[in-house]
Amino acid sequence: MTDDTDAHTDRDRDRDADADTDTDADRDTQTDTETETKTKPATDDSSRLPAIGPGRLALYGALLALVIGYLSPLYGGLTTAFKTQEAYRETSPLQPPIEGITVDPWVTAGGELAMGMINSFALTIPAAVFSALLGSLAAYGLTKVNWRGQAFLLALFLAAVFIPYQAVLVPLRQFWSIVDISGLHERGELVELIITHIAYGTPICTVLFRSYYQTLDDELIEAARLDGASLARIYRKIVLPLSVPMFAVTLIYQFTQIWNDFLFALVLLSDRANYVVTLELNALQGAMATDYGVQMAGAFIAALPTILVYIMFGEQFAKGQTM
Amino acid sequence: MADLQLDAVTKVFTERDGNQITAVDDVSLTIEDGEFLVLVGPSGCGKSTTLRMVAGLESISAGQVRLGDTVVNDSKPKDRNIAMVFQSYALYPHMTVRENMAFGLQESTTMPDDEIERTVESAADMLGIEELLERKPDDLSGGQQQRVALGRAIVRDPEVFLLDEPLSNLDAKLRAQMRTELKRLQNDLDVATIYVTHDQTEAMTMADKIAILNDGELQQVGTPLECYHEPANLFVASFIGEPSMNFFDVTRDDSRLVHDHFRYDLSNETGDELASAQGELVLGVRPEDIDLQSTPDGAHTYATVVDVVEPMGNENNVYLTIGDEQTQTFVATVDGMHHVEAGETVYAHIPESAVHIFDRQSGHALRNRTVESTTIPETKL
Repeated sequence: MTDDTDAHTDRDRDRDADADTDTDADRDTQTDTETETKTKPATDDSSRLPAIGPGRLALYGALLALVIGYLSPLYGGLTTAFKTQEAYRETSPLQPPIEGITVDPWVTAGGELAMGMINSFALTIPAAVFSALLGSLAAYGLTKVNWRGQAFLLALFLAAVFIPYQAVLVPLRQFWSIVDISGLHERGELVELIITHIAYGTPICTVLFRSYYQTLDDELIEAARLDGASLARIYRKIVLPLSVPMFAVTLIYQFTQIWNDFLFALVLLSDRANYVVTLELNALQGAMATDYGVQMAGAFIAALPTILVYIMFGEQFAKGQTM
Repeated sequence: MADLQLDAVTKVFTERDGNQITAVDDVSLTIEDGEFLVLVGPSGCGKSTTLRMVAGLESISAGQVRLGDTVVNDSKPKDRNIAMVFQSYALYPHMTVRENMAFGLQESTTMPDDEIERTVESAADMLGIEELLERKPDDLSGGQQQRVALGRAIVRDPEVFLLDEPLSNLDAKLRAQMRTELKRLQNDLDVATIYVTHDQTEAMTMADKIAILNDGELQQVGTPLECYHEPANLFVASFIGEPSMNFFDVTRDDSRLVHDHFRYDLSNETGDELASAQGELVLGVRPEDIDLQSTPDGAHTYATVVDVVEPMGNENNVYLTIGDEQTQTFVATVDGMHHVEAGETVYAHIPESAVHIFDRQSGHALRNRTVESTTIPETKL
């Protein structure tokens, strides 16, 4: 009996495999023809490679000019950050720092910005995580659960995405004077800022997650319902694990958004001890009005975490965007 | 283990603009314990909606669904002890096969982990997918995914088993093989099963009982052979059988059926049987009941011209035209060794015993072909 079934399943598997290769082959031929049509002009070009047409030459020239145009300020900033005051005055910004090279601006800027960096992390990480999480939950409720009034609530979320910062500054300030968290603790201002950013970031996260959840097969949710899972369990066991790429997208987006925010921080933070890095960078400019080396080094230090976040989540980010 | 009963079940959808659409209209069905019922009909006929109402994924507008003596209309899906296999299989892509199969047991029972393990493994063994337990759904072929979806349904030892077009994503060869396998599996499990499909071949080959649905209304319930030989109306007659039954619009003229291109004489016996059938009728005959002869011989034989021949190997589907304008075409299925060629004139014999008569207005069958009683097994109703 067992032998029988084994033989049987072996045969089945073979057939399955056959079926698989069939479809694979189909797909291959399809992509082949696609790439063929796409690469055809390219191969024609490459056969004429010795004589690159003037059009192509112009294109490469333009691209090169754009690259230089985009990178030169960065490069100039970087060289400036390594120059002494003297070298800065005497050489052009594009000249590499050979004579009068120094790391002093980095040390000075680092010292000035240290507290601001810590505050920024303390603000950005919880605010980004919570806005992504709330956005995901809201989107789940708006796509995979059926209830009355959904359309109205979705409209509210969509509208919230487009509220400009400036429009809410005054009421925001007044709101936090009434709900006075800063009065409870010296770090209260930061908590106020965290909550503000969560509230402000949740709508866009909801919209991003919603478009992703709409592509999620409804039968998956129904299968889980039949399997006996509650709404909360379905979220926890099915939807959340499948949302990882989208979390990467929203986390990167929110991290950058909140880290770079200046306006809300300016309005809500008054205690210097609570200053985030953008405010400290601004203060640095005031204090070191003439020392561009320090300013440039400070700008690089302040921008570093967002670049690192891109590198860390980049792969997931790309996956999430193509989904 | 219990019978499943649908009692006048109705589903009305209300559209945004307030329009009401009746997707399922007053459907009553009984599926006995262990019985394999195939719900078949064209797409959009309400068969999937019916299944979803039984599963609890769709609310019931009117009527009752009973499992044994319990009305389950308002029970949540998980409280109905029903398992379902979806058309897309709906396997959880981030879980291994083992986790997929264990999920339902973890969520809906208090079964200890080691027992869940054993149940999953024995189900996997039954379906021949033990080696796949640690794989993810994306790494499996269509047939394997299909089997995992079945496994996920059977581990829960459901009272009712629902299958929504489970074979439609497989290629033709695998589909034929899975058909027999599924049928065998259902026999072994011996639970009430509803199988939804639009494919009449699946319905014929797998069902203990077929329920044919059209426009939300139940057309006929019966064994496959009953539906084939004794269709209740024109819709069933045309839906069941491949190639479809041939239909000729005729009018009754005393003991004759008059068609634009031929006359069909009725015997006294049939004439008496059809005493009440007057006016506009439809004459139906299955392709395999038509004999092709090279010479006109006897009654009910008509000269026709061969239009197209479709050789199937074991048999030929011969498309014929009748009449000068060649407007009426019909098909006859003859033995594969019977040589006919396009353009040839042949004589089609339509035996009276094989003729179905329908009312053209209502579509109801007024007379079905005569069948020796041994051909049709007793219906379990």
